[in-house]
Amino acid sequence: MLLKNTYNEFIKILSKPRSYLGIGALTLLVGIIIFAMKADGRSIISFVTSSFEQSLTFNGDVLNGNLIAFIILQMLIVHIPLLVALVTGDLISGEAAMGTIRMLATKPISRTNIVLSKFIAGAMYTLFLTLWLGFLALFVSRQIFGTGDLIVLNSDGLVILQDADILWRFGLGFCVAFLSLLTVSTLSIALSAFAENSIGPIVSTMAIIILFTIIGSLDVTVFDNIKPYLFTTHMASWRSFFEDPVPFSTIIKSIIILVVHNIVLVGIAVYKFNKKDIKS
Amino acid sequence: MEGETIIKVEHLAKRFGTFEAVKDVSFSVNRGDVFGFLGPNGAGKSTTIRCLLSLITPDAGSIELFGKSFKTNRSAILSNIGSIIEKPDFYKYLSAQKNLEIFARVSGADVSKKEIQEMLEFVGLGDRGKHKLGGFSHGMKQRLGIAQTLLHKPDLIILDEPTTGLDPQGIVEIRNLILRLKNEQHKTILLSSHQLSEIELIANRMVIINQGRSIVEGSVSDLLNTQELLVRIEVDNATASAELLQKAYPETIFKINSESELEVTFVKELVPELARLLVNNNMNVHAIEPTRKLEDYFMKIIQA
Amino acid sequence: MKTLLTFLIFAVQFGAIAQEANDILNKVVTKLNTVKDYTVTANVKANIPMIKILPSKATIYFKQKDKFKIVSKGIVILPKQGFTEINTFLANKKSYLAVAGDTTKIGGVMTKLITVIPNGESSEIVLAKLWIDIKRSVIMKSQITTKTNGSVTTTYSYGDKVNFGLPSQLVFEIDVKAFKLPKSVAADINKTTTEKKIKTNNKGIITISLTDYKVNTGLSDALFTKKK
Repeated sequence: MLLKNTYNEFIKILSKPRSYLGIGALTLLVGIIIFAMKADGRSIISFVTSSFEQSLTFNGDVLNGNLIAFIILQMLIVHIPLLVALVTGDLISGEAAMGTIRMLATKPISRTNIVLSKFIAGAMYTLFLTLWLGFLALFVSRQIFGTGDLIVLNSDGLVILQDADILWRFGLGFCVAFLSLLTVSTLSIALSAFAENSIGPIVSTMAIIILFTIIGSLDVTVFDNIKPYLFTTHMASWRSFFEDPVPFSTIIKSIIILVVHNIVLVGIAVYKFNKKDIKS
Repeated sequence: MEGETIIKVEHLAKRFGTFEAVKDVSFSVNRGDVFGFLGPNGAGKSTTIRCLLSLITPDAGSIELFGKSFKTNRSAILSNIGSIIEKPDFYKYLSAQKNLEIFARVSGADVSKKEIQEMLEFVGLGDRGKHKLGGFSHGMKQRLGIAQTLLHKPDLIILDEPTTGLDPQGIVEIRNLILRLKNEQHKTILLSSHQLSEIELIANRMVIINQGRSIVEGSVSDLLNTQELLVRIEVDNATASAELLQKAYPETIFKINSESELEVTFVKELVPELARLLVNNNMNVHAIEPTRKLEDYFMKIIQA
Repeated sequence: MKTLLTFLIFAVQFGAIAQEANDILNKVVTKLNTVKDYTVTANVKANIPMIKILPSKATIYFKQKDKFKIVSKGIVILPKQGFTEINTFLANKKSYLAVAGDTTKIGGVMTKLITVIPNGESSEIVLAKLWIDIKRSVIMKSQITTKTNGSVTTTYSYGDKVNFGLPSQLVFEIDVKAFKLPKSVAADINKTTTEKKIKTNNKGIITISLTDYKVNTGLSDALFTKKK
């Protein structure tokens, strides 16, 4: 029954116009970034390298597909949660608003299975968005700009990664980025289980992300104790794969925290949906 | 197994915050019944039906369907029920066919595309399968809802106010569909309504609930025949007819509405006798219309 | 009289010192001028605070008098100046004043310090100190101070192309204390604790090993104008 309903959820997601809104927006945004980089990429690069260029020169193809992919990922990872939540935040509450959840809940499928199938479908949608982003960022920009060594500006300086040493970093980086987006998806579905309309969970998800991000970026020591446990803190841990050496222990810690978030949020959603009186 | 108890509800209660939606509802439905679940708006009908379908967890009381309880047999019970609660809601962005496929997949039975098409034809939507729900009228959705209840061939069909919001033609169509379900498919049907006339036309047994309590339960004919009807009589000469009838029934008050119409409150069983008396005395009878007002009926029951 | 004598002695001595310096430089420049063009493979190792880069490879093309091009597959970090500027600068004898100084041993080789001061104010180079191996007429060490980029110290090692004055290794020591990161770009979201400002060493070292010299092969000018 879980599989059958997951298949149902896929059909629903595929048939909803808003699902394509996310993919369209993503394509447009990546397109704009690629266009901007093509038109004026050098000045953006020199903004990063200018302080070094007083005494050093950077020879070789600095503005290449790898750098563009990295810039795209860095810029969009902040906005993709909205595109994810737009679809996943609607999965339960949208059906509550439409009344179809009532029809579904009178069928011989357990409520746990209803929620789980929505999580699976939401996860697959998120995966698709991540893969699409990966395709656009890596494949398309590498086609346009070619490959080359990657200059990454971290808080402690520049890291220059060799072309041959980059793809695995992107691969693993996308996996961790997917996990962070999955957490957004899970959060919005969990919130969706509490709501009767689809706007509420979408807005709440974004509000939580913004709030946590602000707490995480405030350089105030009072928040130091909670910062490591905010999922938003770990949403950028894909970036750690572009440090040298890669801080694997930090990344694994981030992965554990994100996975725990996912499990807890799924648990909350399943519990809430099972206890819920469907009055719509 | 005619006479087997399909639904057994005892002392059901449900509260939402401080509002007691259902206080004490008990009734039972037997196999083969078209069971009327009657009550005014806000009586607790929908809440009771939601409890019957496990949409709402009751605070007190017990529910048994097919002799089983939801606690241990939710799946088995629901796979033998088809239902529409209040209004059938579908995925607007999908076609009728796709909607039925979605619900069939989680109905616990293997339903082929051919069967879905047959079901669409059964409810008169055979040529609308490919159309998206966005363009469906309320009546069409209601018929599709009935098709949806039948997909997995359940024994029990629960219809909550299926004619609400329909135009007269739609009401007739749905009523005929329900009768076909009873006569052709021999389903047990629980039908909730706030219109006594509707229940009277279709149901064989019923329960009346008011303010969250079940008031009376029994066979429709037994319950209604003992009750008086408001009978409107159309004749050539209302005054002469009234005089004639007054002699025969001195206790009864016959009210003359106009030259050709009079009105009387009368027991249903005696209506044929009244008609015979007028005809035998050469009065031209154009119409005898018995009507029953649910509110009046409730008042009487409550007062009793 | 005494004063005049002192002045004369000083002037003669200074003239002699300047003459000696010019002679030494002439020999160096003459040697360098035997190279019309060259191609060389460079292995660059950079050890610069705040920059992490693996050793990288590049091909360097040079043609008299100031055509210069670096081709690399990946990113190569090189010092902004110190490669060919000094050669070009020294070639124009009228533009500077050279003064000979002490002799010192650098890497076991006896060198003479020549201080080069530009005549005009237009020159980017403010001061150049060159330690020259007089025997082989090659620069062993240089310290070039420019108007805008601080000073760069370069140590030269020579191999089989010492006849052309072409080094086999260059070690640049660069002043990097001015590095600042643009904060908006560098901000890490996943930073969980508020960190203290990073302290850095203020010297960066770039070591360039030069191998496979191809000298005077007649490189075409087009090579230097053609865009990659």
